[in-house]
Amino acid sequence: MGQITLREVRKSFGATEVIPPLSLEIEDGEFVVFVGPSGCGKSTLLRMIAGLEDISGGQILIDGKDASALPPARRGLAMVFQSYALYPHMTVAKNIAFPLRMAGMPAEEQDRLVENAARVLNLTDYLDRRPGQLSGGQRQRVAIGRAIVRKPEAFLFDEPLSNLDAALRVNMRLEITELHAKLESTMIYVTHDQVEAMTMADKIVILHAGRIEQVGTPLDLYHNPRNLFVAGFIGSPKMNFISGAPAAAYGAHTIGVRPEHLDVSTEAGLWQGRVTVAEHLGSDTFLHVQTDHGQLNARLQGDIDVYHGDTVWLTPNEAIMHRFDADGLTMK
Amino acid sequence: MDDKSFAYRAKKASGIAMMLAFLAFAVLPILWVLILSLRPATALFEPIWESPTNLTFDNFRGIADSGFPRALLNSFLTAGIATILSMIVGVPAAFALAKSRLRGKFVASWVLLLLRMAPPVGFVIPLFLIYINAGLIDTYPGLIMAYMTLTLPLVVWSMWTTFAQIPNELIESALMDGASLAKALVLVVIPAARPGVVAAAILGFLIAWNDFFFALIITRGSTVTAPVSIMNFISSDSVDWGSIAVAAICVTLPIIPVMVIANRYIVQSLSGAVKG
Ligand SMILES: Nc1ncnc2c1ncn2[C@@H]1O[C@H](COP(=O)(O)OP(=O)(O)O)[C@@H](O)[C@H]1O
Ligand SMILES: [Mg+2]
Repeated sequence: MGQITLREVRKSFGATEVIPPLSLEIEDGEFVVFVGPSGCGKSTLLRMIAGLEDISGGQILIDGKDASALPPARRGLAMVFQSYALYPHMTVAKNIAFPLRMAGMPAEEQDRLVENAARVLNLTDYLDRRPGQLSGGQRQRVAIGRAIVRKPEAFLFDEPLSNLDAALRVNMRLEITELHAKLESTMIYVTHDQVEAMTMADKIVILHAGRIEQVGTPLDLYHNPRNLFVAGFIGSPKMNFISGAPAAAYGAHTIGVRPEHLDVSTEAGLWQGRVTVAEHLGSDTFLHVQTDHGQLNARLQGDIDVYHGDTVWLTPNEAIMHRFDADGLTMK
Repeated sequence: MDDKSFAYRAKKASGIAMMLAFLAFAVLPILWVLILSLRPATALFEPIWESPTNLTFDNFRGIADSGFPRALLNSFLTAGIATILSMIVGVPAAFALAKSRLRGKFVASWVLLLLRMAPPVGFVIPLFLIYINAGLIDTYPGLIMAYMTLTLPLVVWSMWTTFAQIPNELIESALMDGASLAKALVLVVIPAARPGVVAAAILGFLIAWNDFFFALIITRGSTVTAPVSIMNFISSDSVDWGSIAVAAICVTLPIIPVMVIANRYIVQSLSGAVKG
């Protein structure tokens, strides 16, 4: 079981309130991603759940029991750190066995579980090495191995992929997703990368300045963002925002149109503009268009015959347009 | 061609000359002591080339029968125990100072710095008065405690900076893995900081081992340490240079292997070799 409930938890460092009272329900087996810009309090919130950071108020329940005052060791959670935090003087096998050793498990039993974990993570050939002799991806896997051996209630990940290069990051993203499918245990994953959030999460929690902006499934957030911040944060390339007269025409203070929801024509349309950059990827074409209402981005499937300097007309798809009021909230 | 220019060679040659000069400066006294230790008292002040074969082991035999071996043992025991106790107390203290979010930590750092910088003379008079009243003069505990005023600040100060370099995530990782703080310290932090730990212990041992001043004031007879015992070879009308030379060798020899081992760690710890 790995059900976690946050009830009005708060965190202040001295006089600065980093997390205002925040409540959240995390179901057993769920893959939850905390996502938000750097400095918004994701790590702090995760560390509060882990017990590495005292909470300034509120309650943390793990499987229904109040864990607010428990030390990290007694919460039954495992954590994978951004820096991996492997023990530099221990071999890979000793690193992975460390939590079992702390739990007082007999040596043979430890060896068996370490071997299992190593097999799952393709680390069998590296068990006798030190962390210093491993590549970044291997270190990451050791850190994950150390987390999975003792079957914790939940896994906590703090930006585990940010020290890896792009190709490896995609691989590890898949590995972690597969691991979640295999273990079926609760995972809480912190990242500032909305692509990681969209691809991995069952449930995304969008944080901004310590506050929850919205909670939902990836597609829910994509289709029904609650406000300007969420609308701008989720989706790549970013949603286009237009204020003023064109927005007023749709009865809104600001309208938001995703690049993939703009019709592009070389003959006629609503907003005229000039292509400043055309990115031809083969599968997609990204157009950066300078219009009277500012710079707008459009994304088209396939390759189209539009180049730098061309004049184009953009037309929003009214049915899937987002309307925001003066406070930045989505209008119903 | 260019890099073998005259200027390059001149620079290199002058560099080597400077090193040789420094080497001579450092090694000559040692050679001299070695020669002195092997010369009979009658030939002490003759140049060695006038009677190069006039060598003897009398000085060594003489010292073996004196109180000096006992003094050497005293030095070893008191410096060793003071170092061990300082490590037992100082390492956890340094860990707490380096890693807890205590306010007023800077006060502790100032006090420690003050203790490190203050000359021992500053402590000796009050210490002496306390010791007389407490009956600690000429006792091992008295000497060990006096040495700890030297070794403990050194250990805490140097371990503080060593521990500060250990990433917090390493400790937090151990805590998440089910370790208590004490276990995290013993099983993770200290091994990860081993060069610094070894360096602190050795430097602590050496300042106690080399102490003369405290031992001179506190010891009388049975607890006299080697540096003080050397003074016994100086009497009002003669100085037994041969024995002093042997004693100097005896005080220096044991720390040579220690320094060889330590060198590696001290260099490592000075260059901050603790990486995650
Ligand atoms: N120990 C601390 N003392 C004071 N402020 C802190 C501390 N840890 C984090 N903060 C502040 O809390 C905010 C959130 O930090 P963090 O949770 O690390 O953000 P994120 O992980 O989302 O980038 C930041 O403004 C940061 O400066
Ligand atoms: Mg962070």
